[in-house]
Amino acid sequence: MQRRSSWNGLHGFRVRTGLDRNALPQYPRQTLMSTEPVIFVQSLHKSYDKLEAVKGIDFQVNAGEVFGLLGPNGAGKTSTVEILEGLRPRSSGEATVLGFDPDRQKQRLKDRIGVCLQATNLPAKIRVLEAMDLFASFYTRSLSSEQLLKRMQLWDKRAANYETLSGGQKQRLALALALVNDPQLLFLDEPTTGLDPQIRLEIHKLIEEMKSENRTVLLTTHYIEEAERLCDRVAIMDEGKIVAIGTPRELQQKSKSQSRIQIVSAQPLDSNSFPQWPDAVDSKLEDDGRTITVYSTRPARTLFEIMKWLDQKGIPLEDVHLKKPTLEDVFVELTGKQLRD
Amino acid sequence: MKPYLALIKIDLKLALRLRTVIFFNYLFPMIFFFTFGTVFHAKQNLDGITQVITMSLALGVLGSGLFGAGIRALQERELNILRRYKVTPITPGPLLVASMVTGWIVFMPYIGVLLALSHYYYNMPWPQHMAALLVFISLGLIAFRAIGLVIASVANTMQEGTILVQLLYFPMLFLSGATFPAEFFPLSLQVISKFVPATYYVKGIKDIIKSNQGFNFSYAGVLVLTTVIGFIVGMKLFRWEKEEKIKGSAKLWVAAVLAPFLMMGIWESFHIKNKVQPAPRMEKSSAAFGDNRPRL
Repeated sequence: MQRRSSWNGLHGFRVRTGLDRNALPQYPRQTLMSTEPVIFVQSLHKSYDKLEAVKGIDFQVNAGEVFGLLGPNGAGKTSTVEILEGLRPRSSGEATVLGFDPDRQKQRLKDRIGVCLQATNLPAKIRVLEAMDLFASFYTRSLSSEQLLKRMQLWDKRAANYETLSGGQKQRLALALALVNDPQLLFLDEPTTGLDPQIRLEIHKLIEEMKSENRTVLLTTHYIEEAERLCDRVAIMDEGKIVAIGTPRELQQKSKSQSRIQIVSAQPLDSNSFPQWPDAVDSKLEDDGRTITVYSTRPARTLFEIMKWLDQKGIPLEDVHLKKPTLEDVFVELTGKQLRD
Repeated sequence: MKPYLALIKIDLKLALRLRTVIFFNYLFPMIFFFTFGTVFHAKQNLDGITQVITMSLALGVLGSGLFGAGIRALQERELNILRRYKVTPITPGPLLVASMVTGWIVFMPYIGVLLALSHYYYNMPWPQHMAALLVFISLGLIAFRAIGLVIASVANTMQEGTILVQLLYFPMLFLSGATFPAEFFPLSLQVISKFVPATYYVKGIKDIIKSNQGFNFSYAGVLVLTTVIGFIVGMKLFRWEKEEKIKGSAKLWVAAVLAPFLMMGIWESFHIKNKVQPAPRMEKSSAAFGDNRPRL
């Protein structure tokens, strides 16, 4: 019986795509054991003349994981990813991807991975279906172009010239092209940069679907919320080094940043009457005279105590906000830079 | 084989969808064909129509090679199209072969149109060695496309590429005898002409059409050698991304691909007697410009 994958369409309804992988020719015997990491990097260095872009980094990505590389421009993300894609030789260190050495086995590696690059193009007059068929011809095995285009909501555009597609359609086509060889590992380089928020959400759903198909994804991004939403683990890079690695939650917990509690009362308050709330690092009354802002290392406990105090004082409550440190706070704390520096 | 066929198929489709390709491959040389046909009184003499058809074929081949192959390859790199191919398992080989084969397929109908117009409109007899003519033109086309691809490989920017193309295109057009018969050049220009690659292409065609001499194996050999060197250099220096810059000294590879023609020029200058002749006086050369000599 043929195995058919299904997925949720972009607009919420379930679509049976019938991506028939059993009909595809099989790759030669896998050199990768199922327990081995899909990507393994140890003491990786990359230098361009006198500039050392990557300064001895270590990480690994496991099967089925969405792994994010975060960092400002010039952090070494692109060099790292391009080494792993077999596009650039490393200066020193170890790297294996799907069991292949990206320097010595680049053609075999490229046959097995999918890559969605930032800032690429196709010929202006090429039609969508033609592009799919062309790229399918480059690989030893390929999925049906029709099924992939239907999945990416591009089947209606199959006869359209590339130059007539919108930014979102071009990006969906780029993802379709990255999937044409049914890769188990995808490299997505800034897949949503420059797209409007609606299209960005569509691309996020597609990446989540790839994850649900147990594909491994290495994602580089500038968008913190994208990393928080999509990535199982994140490595923060700065000046060629990995300065932190872990799940977004772990990184947030490691942060020295405190959660921020904001309470808005229905009547004016006197800051002199505030007690020392437990675990509160700092507290202040805002200029409106009704909003208290408290920074806490244990926000649940502090919030409970504040609510108890308000109740005892008979102060009516209007609004409550609790904001945990974001990945962006962690990023700024670790690198001293904004992500878009 | 699959990527070769797919790239040839798509390159052909794209070529036929571009108006500039149709214009520069068919209409533009046709304008020269009819204009110079009138200037040379091509209806009245074989010399005239030989000159006109040779010029049209040279225009077409140089345009296809230097602009069609060279500039287009540069455009694909500048527009990040090659960058997208770079992440797939294909090598430069299929891309270069597809460029050459596509150029040849697009050019073949043009030869048919030119020969038919020359025969039916300008009364030129059909060449006796038609197969030799077609093979020779094909070798020339592939050789000049190889030169174009090498230019694309050594040029870092479109501006550099355009300068290199122009530096080769105009001397080859005017000093090869394609537009103006080389017999009328002063002695110094006749010597220079022997070192111009297009000269051997022009002479080879004239030999087949006008003198019925058949295939000139020396000239064909030079074209084949150029193709081989061009392909090897093109593969070696192929760059997928505009950010990958090449050293200025790499431009000397253009000299390597032109070396067979330089060697041929040296050979012709020193070993073949009576090749450089003083330019004939104009009254004796009027045939080239259409006297009322009986048609051959």
